[in-house]
Amino acid sequence: MGVKSDKLSGVVQGTLDMLILKTLALEPMHGYGIGQRIEQISQGVFRVNAGSLFPAFWRLERKGWIRGEWRSTENNRRAKYYALTDAGRKKLQSEAREWQTQTAAIARILEAKPGEL
Amino acid sequence: MALLKIIASGVRSLFHKRRVDSELDEELRTYADATVQDKARAGMTAAEAARATRLEMGSLDAVKHAVREVGWEATLESFLQDVRFGARMLRKNPGFTVIAVLALALGIGANTAMFSVIEAVLLRPLPYSDAQKIMRVASTWNRGGTLTSYTSSPPDFFDWRDQNRTFASMFAYYRGESALTGRGEARRVRVLSATAGIFSTLQAHPELGHEFNADENHKGANHVAVLSFGFWQAEFAGSPEAIGKSIQLDSEPYTVIGVMPAEFRFPLVGSDVYTPIGFDNNVMTQRGAHYLAVMGRLKDGVATKQANDDLGAIMAELRRLYPDKDGKWGVHVEPWSSAIVADVRVALFVLLAAVALVAVIACANISNLLLARATARNRELTMRRALGAGRARLVRQMLTEGLLLAVLGGAAGLLLAHWALSAIVSFGPKDIPRLANVSLSGPVLWFTMAISLGSALLFGLIPALRSSGLDASGLVRASVSSPREAQKLRASLLIAEMALSMMLLAGAGLLVRSFIGLRSVNPGFQPAGVLTLTLSVPDARYKTSASLEAYWNEVLTKARSLPGVDAVGAVTPLPLSGDDFSSSFSVEGRSVPDKDEPSAQVRAATPDYFRTLQIPLKQGRAFAGADRLGSTRVVLASEKAVKAFFPDGNAIGQRLRFGARGGYEKNEGEIVGVVGDVRHDGVDIPAPPIFYVPLVQAGLDSATLVIRGQSLSGSAQTARKLLQNIDHEALVGEVMPLQDLVDGSLGQRRFTMLLLAAFAGLALLLAAVGLYGVISYSAAQRTQEIGIRVALGATRGEVLGLIMRQGMKVAGAGLLIGLVLAFLLTRALKDLLVGVSATDPVTLAITAAMLLLVAALACFVPARRATRVDPVVALRFD
Repeated sequence: MGVKSDKLSGVVQGTLDMLILKTLALEPMHGYGIGQRIEQISQGVFRVNAGSLFPAFWRLERKGWIRGEWRSTENNRRAKYYALTDAGRKKLQSEAREWQTQTAAIARILEAKPGEL
Repeated sequence: MALLKIIASGVRSLFHKRRVDSELDEELRTYADATVQDKARAGMTAAEAARATRLEMGSLDAVKHAVREVGWEATLESFLQDVRFGARMLRKNPGFTVIAVLALALGIGANTAMFSVIEAVLLRPLPYSDAQKIMRVASTWNRGGTLTSYTSSPPDFFDWRDQNRTFASMFAYYRGESALTGRGEARRVRVLSATAGIFSTLQAHPELGHEFNADENHKGANHVAVLSFGFWQAEFAGSPEAIGKSIQLDSEPYTVIGVMPAEFRFPLVGSDVYTPIGFDNNVMTQRGAHYLAVMGRLKDGVATKQANDDLGAIMAELRRLYPDKDGKWGVHVEPWSSAIVADVRVALFVLLAAVALVAVIACANISNLLLARATARNRELTMRRALGAGRARLVRQMLTEGLLLAVLGGAAGLLLAHWALSAIVSFGPKDIPRLANVSLSGPVLWFTMAISLGSALLFGLIPALRSSGLDASGLVRASVSSPREAQKLRASLLIAEMALSMMLLAGAGLLVRSFIGLRSVNPGFQPAGVLTLTLSVPDARYKTSASLEAYWNEVLTKARSLPGVDAVGAVTPLPLSGDDFSSSFSVEGRSVPDKDEPSAQVRAATPDYFRTLQIPLKQGRAFAGADRLGSTRVVLASEKAVKAFFPDGNAIGQRLRFGARGGYEKNEGEIVGVVGDVRHDGVDIPAPPIFYVPLVQAGLDSATLVIRGQSLSGSAQTARKLLQNIDHEALVGEVMPLQDLVDGSLGQRRFTMLLLAAFAGLALLLAAVGLYGVISYSAAQRTQEIGIRVALGATRGEVLGLIMRQGMKVAGAGLLIGLVLAFLLTRALKDLLVGVSATDPVTLAITAAMLLLVAALACFVPARRATRVDPVVALRFD
């Protein structure tokens, strides 16, 4: 596909969904903005291209976690803005909690010293 | 709710595809514009920014495609697309399509038909509620290690019924035929006499009136009748007034007390009238009289094994209490559903296995065709890969094409099966239980669907995996010529087809040989040209043996007077009729205790019976007209009987006295002659030892007339009329050629043999078509090579040999593998073979030669075509 490698390719699909939900929790945003925001906040670690973003939008909208709406942008163009729904907010909370439990557990395993096992 | 939403949005995007698409387009354009603007802001020129954006985003179509793949409707859509494409491909290759669908239809049709038979005969529950709890209980006799099942005696039955702890209820019955009299011409009715437990055991009760009870199971109280629905309709036009009316069975009155529901049948072939058995007061002394069939319904949660243990323990006690009568008897409990099909189960499963192999061969054949076609489609497939189709996507497409074939083949197969079933119902043997009920039922349709889909996978997967594995760069190199590996794969498939066909042929060959052997077995009599007809008179009106003698004499005289008749005799029971009668006997001058008395089959016959059936007289004299009532009692022995009971060969002059059981009691007589053996129980079952007594001396009220003559079939109705006129209340049966009984006795074997032979033929045909296809294809591929050879001076014979060798190598390899398989697997047929070993070398050799011949023919046609190649044309051939 694109020449620029999709740095999310190694990350599970569910993670991208969570990142998008989190981004939209801050404020409704259009597709390009979401990609930019993820890259900015992650300080360039995650760069998501259109080929991953758009299927994810489609998927999340279908599940009823986000809602798309056509609005004008700051420079007066039409763009589809996505906003988090109530169901999406709940989903984000449970995902984040789950994520924290898992990462904490993984961190503990990685820091384990020979004697502790 | 969530599911509904998913479905709704899927449906919406299916139907508003255009709008959804244009929205997505706009969104992507906004996204691209924003990217470009960002890059321009970062210092790129407009052109550079646009280019970088395109590189970054990749093909917009690919993105759109990825988005579309998200919903379930996308899968459906690509599937429909594949179907449309597949249908186009099939239409474009009508030759391939017709052959593939035909092969599949044969395979699926044969499987569907065979499975329908198994479903109806073996799998469908018996038509009683909770039928799996109904058990057959049989008395067993251990003879040299093999258990033989017999009917049971009343005292044994009562003891089992009253002492067991595993059965909820039990009943005993026997079947008979009676003349329905007093309603116009006497008519034969099937009477089932049972104990009162029949209704609770079968959980079936009269829908009109009431059932009989245990009090009516006594002599004198038993003249009540429960009618079958059909009999009630026929005799009483379905009127409720029938209850309380009287009918006459064998000139004795029975009061109608109930009518069973329309769907009730017992036994499976049905009965017309159900009456209570009238046991007399000394019934408990008749422990040696085995004539009752016994059935029981297990209590909830009881296994067959427990019931066997339970009754086994009771029987052990009975053996201890009554060593003289029960000393050698055991008991066996078996689910009724398996007891009735014990004889046919092996044959049916062998046939199902055979027909499954036919389907496998058909699949291999189609696989082969698809492989050949896939080679031609290399260009198309590599192009698709180059354009970005994933491997899974290509496999899916190829499998969809296979599915299409399978659906067509399955539909055509159902049609074939439908025809095959009506043929099986009309020509199948009558003694396979429930064969007449076979139909394309629900389970059968599921089965057909499953094998259609299964075969699509089976024949579609190899070509699909192979073609989709093509490297996209193969596009450059793709050429029409087939890669060597594909050739090898096709040859292996062909070898497998040949091997399986060989196996089936060998199996069919063994059955055919066994059947031919049986056909030429001499049953001990000459059935051709003999008609049979059973007569019985109501014993209420023929109380004396003298009146019976007069009746039989008149019957014989009248029958002899018919035009074209050569000889007339009478016998009971008739050979191969399924009836038999045996009696214990003692030989005068030999003292043996009662319980050790030998037992043999006994027949009652008239003097001309032996001449009519051409049973040879071996020694002494046959019966004569002088052997009448009141004259010296005489007996004839069969050769087997002499061998079994008079090992020194001196049978003539010995006096026999027949034993306790009803019918021939008080019969005794001197052996005056020895006659040839007769296979009474079946053409495929060795002749039993038989003694004959004169019909008139035995004083029997029922016998079968045998009439030998020329072109008698036309006068059958005249004969019946004539005999009916002797006594209007006599029951005159239908006229049946004796040859029909002989043929019917081999009916199941003929059925199995014909079906297996048909399946083997089908397999051979499919394999031959496969071989023909592969050899033609490869000969066409080698046109150029052949042209060069011919140009360099190769003769026609050499070219012919070249192509033939290629095909025969494959056939030979298949043959060898098939022979090994046949050697290992035909053992499964052991139970179905008579007089031929499961690895009979002659059969194997003949069938192998047949396979080679057919294979040679399949190769010869394309090989000969190859010899006609014009070198000039061939060299220009690409």
